[in-house]
Amino acid sequence: MNDATDTQAAPEAKPATDEPLVDPASLKMTARNVDVYYGDKQAIDDVSIDIGMDNVTAFIGPSGCGKSTFLRTLNRMNDTIPIARTSGQIELDGEDIYDPDMDVVQLRARVGMVFQKPNPFPKSIYENVAYGPRIHGLAGSKSELDQIVEKSLIRAGLFEEVKDRLDDSGTALSGGQQQRLCIARAIAVDPEVILMDEPCSALDPIATAKIEELIHELRGKYAIVIVTHNMQQAARVSQRTAFFHLGNLVEYGETSELFTNPHQERTKDYITGRYG
Amino acid sequence: MNATTASTDGRQPTDWKTDAMQRRIRARYRAEKRFRFYGLAAVFLSAGFLAFLLFTMVSSGARGFTQVQIALPVDFAASNIVIEPEQLDGNDREQLLALADFQGLAQESMVAAYGDDGQALFSNGAWVQLRNAVSDDPTLLNRSEVIWMPASTEIDFAARGDAGENQSEERLAMMERYQALEEAGQVRSALSWTFLTMGDSSDPTLAGIWGALKGSLFTMLVTLALAFPIGVLAAVYLEEYAPQNRWTDIIEVSINNLAAVPSIIFGLLGLAIFLNTFHLPRSAAIVGGLTLALMTMPVIVIAGRNAIKSVPPSIRDAALGVGASPVQVLTHHVLPLSLPGILTGTIIGMSRALGETAPLLLIGMRAFVPSPPDGLTDPATVLPVQIFLWSDELNPGFVEKTSAAIIVLLVFLLVMNGLAIWLRNKYEQRW
Ligand SMILES: Nc1ncnc2c1ncn2[C@@H]1O[C@H](COP(=O)(O)OP(=O)(O)OP(=O)(O)O)[C@@H](O)[C@H]1O
Ligand SMILES: [Mg+2]
Repeated sequence: MNDATDTQAAPEAKPATDEPLVDPASLKMTARNVDVYYGDKQAIDDVSIDIGMDNVTAFIGPSGCGKSTFLRTLNRMNDTIPIARTSGQIELDGEDIYDPDMDVVQLRARVGMVFQKPNPFPKSIYENVAYGPRIHGLAGSKSELDQIVEKSLIRAGLFEEVKDRLDDSGTALSGGQQQRLCIARAIAVDPEVILMDEPCSALDPIATAKIEELIHELRGKYAIVIVTHNMQQAARVSQRTAFFHLGNLVEYGETSELFTNPHQERTKDYITGRYG
Repeated sequence: MNATTASTDGRQPTDWKTDAMQRRIRARYRAEKRFRFYGLAAVFLSAGFLAFLLFTMVSSGARGFTQVQIALPVDFAASNIVIEPEQLDGNDREQLLALADFQGLAQESMVAAYGDDGQALFSNGAWVQLRNAVSDDPTLLNRSEVIWMPASTEIDFAARGDAGENQSEERLAMMERYQALEEAGQVRSALSWTFLTMGDSSDPTLAGIWGALKGSLFTMLVTLALAFPIGVLAAVYLEEYAPQNRWTDIIEVSINNLAAVPSIIFGLLGLAIFLNTFHLPRSAAIVGGLTLALMTMPVIVIAGRNAIKSVPPSIRDAALGVGASPVQVLTHHVLPLSLPGILTGTIIGMSRALGETAPLLLIGMRAFVPSPPDGLTDPATVLPVQIFLWSDELNPGFVEKTSAAIIVLLVFLLVMNGLAIWLRNKYEQRW
């Protein structure tokens, strides 16, 4: 499933007509008619979307339109908010993740998440990365765990900076390093999908560039969904973009297509800076 | 935008150099200085109170740890105690010692050494020293030896140069007697372990704190063993699992109120529940511990909830995000992070429980208990109650015992808090 067939070479993606945007062979997650309510307030209204394995999907839209809310339905993090209610169908590899038989803990190991604000555990750098593999029993021995930690830190582009101080506290790192540490922590459990909620919003351009580079490198190994307010970033890192507005999925398409030739008036207004 | 709006709405640029402005600045500096002075004064005042308390306690309590002793020559060999030293190696040692007439021997020796009223010089229970001496060193039985024995309260006063308020005949005579003894080198004031190793006694020269100390220790252990786990579990449940509804609100309000209920009411509760309903033994450390646990629990619950609440939600999200189960989030992250706060609450609750007197009086821990408790169900008393009882004694010999007991209580408190703070720091360093 990991062998990424490049769908960008696929026939010209026209607006959501008969031509499926995501090649069925690389389909990872599908959402159908998803509604989310916070109490009486509807935050997501009838959203259907396909997420492919082989590329990066960006969610854009004005603040408060429900990007984070929708992202959090994909690994059921919304379950932790008592007033949130989700309906509709979301499948991971054809399995309904809201099925009562679904093990939420395992789901979250398979669908990892990187949060908007870097949130390392107040433990050592090593412990931060080792925590996930340890609770899931992914390493048989200490040396195996060491290897997982090292590999994850290398993949997150942090290893060179911290290799001599793995026992220092993770909270003592700079903001950008912390965010990369959180990414290392997420990939250490070897998830299939990584959800990133504005991972660069607190970072300077250099740290942002590092993370974007990282996303490039991770592409193909994981299905990546990234929420961003920065349209240049969406254009740089993603191959598909979904535009949300007021809880609706307004438009979903190839990134290049959506930014150069939006089909919806609202999308056009947003990307030309008319509002948002 | 600012510059234009400032001039269009008619405002002049602020002149920071006017007199009024300078005055305001000076006033601000003065206020700052004043505030710092108040703070410093408060610190000094409380430090001064503490120093005063410690000074008075130590100066008047130090004598409580010493004992006036008088030399008593005892001829064991010539006595009518006919035990051979070898016999004391056997199993019936205790019995033999108990049956031997050490009291008679002491009396004879006192009369022989200090005349017909020689007994008046010595504490009533002094003869026990002879038995202890023989128990420690059986070969004494074949010898004659000078044994230092505790002096009577009267000699104790004389040693202090206290002739009593009304300067009675007997008191003055005792003073003379003491001076004669002192000149002959037959009296000394020695650090004695009696106070730290003995139980209560009606004779101040023989009264010790060990019984009350042990009672306090047992009581605190019971309190901690109950209040800490139950308090923490309740805090965890209320904070992490309880649904937000009217019932949890009611429980929350009740717990907050419980923490403020006067302790004597907990004593009545303990009396009604543990003694009258469950018929647990009176005056026992277990009942004291249970009663104090009722009192300490709400404090731990409140502190625990606050500590748990203050763990940032982002940490929970982070743990859930890598697939930790709710219990793992709790035990791996939330509890360790809130432990310092929980321990602080526990220190406060336990310190309060340690100093508590009123509820323990109600469950009968004010009884006179001469022998230190050996278990949780033995009759016991606790340090603050012992202090209360001694301070109530008519015999002035108890005054310094009271101060000495207060010193012991304060040391106990310091040790307990020190332990908790050490634990807390240890846990904080782990992160
Ligand atoms: N925990 C919550 N309780 C109640 N309402 C919420 C909660 N979280 C989000 N909402 C509401 O749901 C709507 C969508 O919020 P969401 O956080 O998904 O927006 P967003 O697109 O991620 O915005 P931003 O770009 O600012 O992060 C908002 O109107 C918000 O007020
Ligand atoms: Mg958001």
